[in-house]
Amino acid sequence: MAAVFSLQIVTPDRLIYDGEAERLIVRTLTGDVCILAHHIDYAAALVPGEASVVTADGERVAACSGGLLSVSDNQVRLMATTFEWQDEIDLARAQRAQEAAEAQLKTMSADDQNYALVEAKLKRALARIRTKT
Amino acid sequence: MAGSSMKSIKLRIKSVESTMQITRAMQLVATSKLRRSKERMEMSKPYASISREAIQAAILACGDKSVPYVEARPVKKRCYIVIAGERGLAGGYNNNIFKALAADAGDTPYVVLPIGRKAIDKYQHLGIETLDQSHTHVEGISVGMCYKLVKRLTEGYLDGAFDEVVLVYTTFVSMMSQEVRVERLLPVEPESEPAAGHRIVQTLYDPNPEETLMAVMPDYLAGRLYSAACDAFASEVAARRNAMDSATKNAGEMIDGLRLKYNRARQGAITQEITEIVAGSEA
Repeated sequence: MAAVFSLQIVTPDRLIYDGEAERLIVRTLTGDVCILAHHIDYAAALVPGEASVVTADGERVAACSGGLLSVSDNQVRLMATTFEWQDEIDLARAQRAQEAAEAQLKTMSADDQNYALVEAKLKRALARIRTKT
Repeated sequence: MAGSSMKSIKLRIKSVESTMQITRAMQLVATSKLRRSKERMEMSKPYASISREAIQAAILACGDKSVPYVEARPVKKRCYIVIAGERGLAGGYNNNIFKALAADAGDTPYVVLPIGRKAIDKYQHLGIETLDQSHTHVEGISVGMCYKLVKRLTEGYLDGAFDEVVLVYTTFVSMMSQEVRVERLLPVEPESEPAAGHRIVQTLYDPNPEETLMAVMPDYLAGRLYSAACDAFASEVAARRNAMDSATKNAGEMIDGLRLKYNRARQGAITQEITEIVAGSEA
């Protein structure tokens, strides 16, 4: 068995996972990172993307957006804005969100106050769709 | 004469009874809501506490570098986030919140971001600038709404519209007691320096502590806000349950007292009639 670390995944409304894991991959501001056991202490902000958790029971994929990844003393904490396991994702809803966001972006100028907000929505929708399919 | 007082007592009993029905119904509603709201409160706690630790660690890592969210500046204007109830009839729940705010504000001018209808009404009535009037329901508040609110707060804070953000809400201590809390959200106060002998941990921040802190701050604030809203709602429901419980008890006691009075009046009337009849037959 591979070496394990303790992993906690939380979103503002619930604790999603609390247990041991062998590997965690998430997307940060500077790109995808992979955490294995005994990683040095590390912290990074997250951006919307796919996340993968490998536990003794195998690999689980999830759509994750925003938040913070923090590793300290073999204790990994993933604070996500949203975190949905692959089987929890509502594909139809994500596709609707994608279309709505794309339509909105077309009518906006890049310096619109809400541009970043809509763009973030689009990114979240795309991350969900990519994870699901 | 006796007849008219009997009638008025009867009317009062009726009116107290119907009030009691209402208070009892409200008590039952509050009791059934309580369990769910307590669960929601418990579930929102891990995120709030974990993100608080992470933010503190990141602040320490920033060292002397200035990050606008941490740097304190002279307070010309404050922004209060007030989480109150949607309705009254919850004992001193709403009033305690407003009192705590007034005590904390002192002479510093402030704007308010009210959540809950009672808070919105109160500060509009006082003529204080409110940032938002759309969140009347604390119960239905979602994480998404908290993010939208936080966006307005961080924008206002970074633009210098206000220099401090303070959260006023009620925390659920136990069924019988709920406490008003006044907590400063921005600027974030670094908690105590690491204790002597504490291992200074070298953490790798990607790309660097300042940017990480700036990126994560809205998440942290939204988590705090959401958790506070859940906490406040559980407190409101508990406060209402307690208030309605004692109101129902009082109404019951009142009815008992009135019944006693009514029976006495009835007895008095009967005695008087008998006396009159006896006196009549003797004459």
